[in-house]
Amino acid sequence: MLRKKILGLLVILTLLVSVPIQAAEFPTKEVQVIIPWAAGGATDLIFRALAPHAAKHLGKAVVIVNRPGGGSAVGYTEGAKAKADGYTLTSAVTPLTILPHQVTTAYTYKDFEPVINVVSDPSMFLIRSDMPWKNLREFVDFAKKNPNMITVGNSGAGGGVHLVALAFEKAAGVKFNHIPFSGGGPSVTAILGAHINAVSVSPPEGIEHVKAGKLKIIALFAEKRLEMFPDVLTVKEQGIDFAMGMWRGLIAPKGTPADAIKKLHDAFKLGMEDPAFQKTAKDMAVNLSYLGPEAFGKLMANDHEFFGKLVKEIKK
Amino acid sequence: MKILKRDEAIVGVVIFLFGAITTFLSLKMPIGTLRMAGTGFFPLCLGILLMILSAAFVLKLLVQHKKDVIQKEVVAKTPGVIRQMGLFLGAMVLATLFFNELGYPLTSFLLMAALLWSLGMKRWVFNLLLSFITAGASYFLFVQWLKIPLPKGWIGL
Amino acid sequence: MFESLQHLATGFTIAGTVQNLLYCLIGAIVGTLIGVLPGIGPIAGIALLIPATFSLNPTSAIIMLAGIYYGAMYGGSTTSILLNVPGETASVITCIDGYQMAQKGRAGPALAICAIGSFIAGTIGLFGLVFLAPPLAEAALAFGPPEYFSLMIFGFIVLSNVTGTSLLKALMMATVGLIIGTIGLDPVTGDARFVFGSTYLLGGIEFVAVAIGLFGIGEVLTNVHQPQELLDQRVTVPRFRDLYPSLQDLKKSIASILRGAGIGFGVGLVPGPAPVIATYSSYMIERKISKHPEEFGKGAIEGVAGPESANNSACQSAFIPLFVLGIPFAPPTAILLGALLIHGVSPGPLLISQHPGLFWGVIASMYIGNFILLILNLPFVPLFANILRIPKKILLPLVILFCITGMYTVNNSIPDIWVMLLFGALGFLMRKWAYEGAPLLLALVLGPRLEIAFRQSLMISHGDFGIFINRPISMVFLLATVLFLIIPLIRMTLKKQRKEGGL
Repeated sequence: MLRKKILGLLVILTLLVSVPIQAAEFPTKEVQVIIPWAAGGATDLIFRALAPHAAKHLGKAVVIVNRPGGGSAVGYTEGAKAKADGYTLTSAVTPLTILPHQVTTAYTYKDFEPVINVVSDPSMFLIRSDMPWKNLREFVDFAKKNPNMITVGNSGAGGGVHLVALAFEKAAGVKFNHIPFSGGGPSVTAILGAHINAVSVSPPEGIEHVKAGKLKIIALFAEKRLEMFPDVLTVKEQGIDFAMGMWRGLIAPKGTPADAIKKLHDAFKLGMEDPAFQKTAKDMAVNLSYLGPEAFGKLMANDHEFFGKLVKEIKK
Repeated sequence: MKILKRDEAIVGVVIFLFGAITTFLSLKMPIGTLRMAGTGFFPLCLGILLMILSAAFVLKLLVQHKKDVIQKEVVAKTPGVIRQMGLFLGAMVLATLFFNELGYPLTSFLLMAALLWSLGMKRWVFNLLLSFITAGASYFLFVQWLKIPLPKGWIGL
Repeated sequence: MFESLQHLATGFTIAGTVQNLLYCLIGAIVGTLIGVLPGIGPIAGIALLIPATFSLNPTSAIIMLAGIYYGAMYGGSTTSILLNVPGETASVITCIDGYQMAQKGRAGPALAICAIGSFIAGTIGLFGLVFLAPPLAEAALAFGPPEYFSLMIFGFIVLSNVTGTSLLKALMMATVGLIIGTIGLDPVTGDARFVFGSTYLLGGIEFVAVAIGLFGIGEVLTNVHQPQELLDQRVTVPRFRDLYPSLQDLKKSIASILRGAGIGFGVGLVPGPAPVIATYSSYMIERKISKHPEEFGKGAIEGVAGPESANNSACQSAFIPLFVLGIPFAPPTAILLGALLIHGVSPGPLLISQHPGLFWGVIASMYIGNFILLILNLPFVPLFANILRIPKKILLPLVILFCITGMYTVNNSIPDIWVMLLFGALGFLMRKWAYEGAPLLLALVLGPRLEIAFRQSLMISHGDFGIFINRPISMVFLLATVLFLIIPLIRMTLKKQRKEGGL
């Protein structure tokens, strides 16, 4: 008899506990940001720096999750398929609009909603300071005379900086030997160890080493010079009409409710404006460039078209 | 516990087949050359390697003079044990299937109860009480205190 | 050098304030709890708690994070020993002899020696860090794609048969591991392999799922495969004097600990899965050097002391590349990198000179974290050991619950759990037919890197295989591999000749 009573009590308890709890306001738990590359790369570093500042304004933690693989395909595929509840963001970087043209991906930028753009950085080539090439002219001349000899590392086959290197090849009329690595971290390590001749990167990858004098910028693919290194000439200034960079922002799966997007956007915008973050960005030679959801969406659409054409050109 | 030579050989053949399937599938991918390896190159080598290794293994078994070794594994054959395994596995599979829908606290409660029962815990009250306490304690520890994300299910916990 | 010591002393005073010690303690406790749950490791633990550190100043924040990091590592060893469930990558080897010791009622000494060994290794690692950091970082840089390849080949061949059972079976399991490692995207071109259209497989098979499945779930299933009367029993009832290591235990272990610390420190410098390689190497060496190798696999304390020490010192030296080069080689150091960035510090060659207070404060705090964990864990050893008093009937379901929970927390992915269960079934079968899981796991970890290194090397050299031989470090590893394979064959042939000659 007692046993039955206890059993009954347990059943009632379980049922009581099962009463659904009212859905609270967004966000009720932490927000994840998927980074489709290994830890230590440019995107990773920038968003790791931004995360806590945004979290302050969001009221919940912002957690960085690395999902490297397939030159960003794995991360973006996961990001596109995540639940559209606002808790899973993905860091959108230019390769999002490039990779779908090169391989069949399960996503395009259209599977996402733009939230905010944070950064817009030029790309560049770095070489070790003890290399014989003193300036871009010498570098390009050597490449012309020795096609396919200069090894240029990148953070992943088909990735952003790889494409920049390929596009530069066309503009300069040379051919390099591209060596893929699993991210910006490994590629910079490789050049520090002199295993490759040059490396294609985007700030803040390698910046600390340029500051320390171990590496130097041999080619800067920007419209104007960098604030941190005012003596470094851009490639355009030296006669090759070429500039290409990366934008980095945040996107959410298509169908994410508008108010969640607004809250996320506002939190990250305030985080960007935080003076502590601005100082960190400056230290990393990273160029902040805010864009709201609409403008960012347009940018992605434009670049998607642009790279579609570029990839076709390069494949020829 | 000794193992029948015949069983060892069968396992060896199964592994050989795994290697064969790998080889077959990788041939469908671009192989490239040794110098400029394609996508399928590495798996192809591995598939072939596995076939060689398992073939060598089986051959070694056949060549050995030793007779069949007597098996002492009587325990495995009793139907009770197999039923026990089946129930145990079944409980795990069901729990995984409905993990998301039911949510963490409910799933852990049901899973514990089912597993305990499959292993012969006949005392109902104790079983359910223990499951309840375990599920509750782990819920509070992991979800509430450590704030680890676990599925919420229709209960909403 | 003396400057460094001075700095270190300053670091200790910073880290040693009551407040900071408290933060470290909290971190250690939280870390241990997290580490005990299989799957979720230091990475997730630190990541989850970074927000809690906002209100603290940089040094205190990083001290707390260091506490969590070490706590999680210790927690991982605990589940390896008690339940044969590897808490994280590096705990796999601890399962082998640690679990056997627990089965024999010697869980206490195993747990304690982990704590003690890790602490000693941590001390040695600290000195290494302090005095040798810059030159060691340079050494790490000398490893390029060809060196990685040769190192991986060496590790692969030498360490496959880590447990000493059949070499052929070990190589077969290793090859299976390599094949499983190819599932997903081709690391060089990005094309899908063996994916069969599944998005989950695109990301590859999660290592933790395989590890927990093969070892943890496999062991549980093996136990379930027993008549009910046996299940009513407890695993063991440890006697009081078996709760702590005996003097003999300590004597046996000290050499292993020192060796492990040395191995770990050296291996930890190389980018990549350093702790895994360190633990496997230490186990292998201990087994080969031991005067009674047959004990390994059945509960030899050296097989726990060595690898655990190696694990700890590998984690210490993994910080060197982070601080000196600013490049994180492993996920936990990446988190630390993030933490540094948050507090406005960008790691790089200039870090040590520009922020000496932070650097040395962190180093000191890492050591304090180590120390606190020793103090925290030793009293808990009897408590943990007594977990094994729970009858199997109840213990086994609990283990399953924790495995499934823990697995989910790694990627929030149900397919991971399926993989874990699948490998659990596989682990059960492998146990039945005497195949080892350790080689498979090693191959799963090393495989993708091996492939990348191989293809990168050939791309750099335009297809010239000489690149592997022309570079000294690479050559050394390849030679060592060849010798390792040939020497036993030569010995066998010589033995045969002697036998025949003697007739």
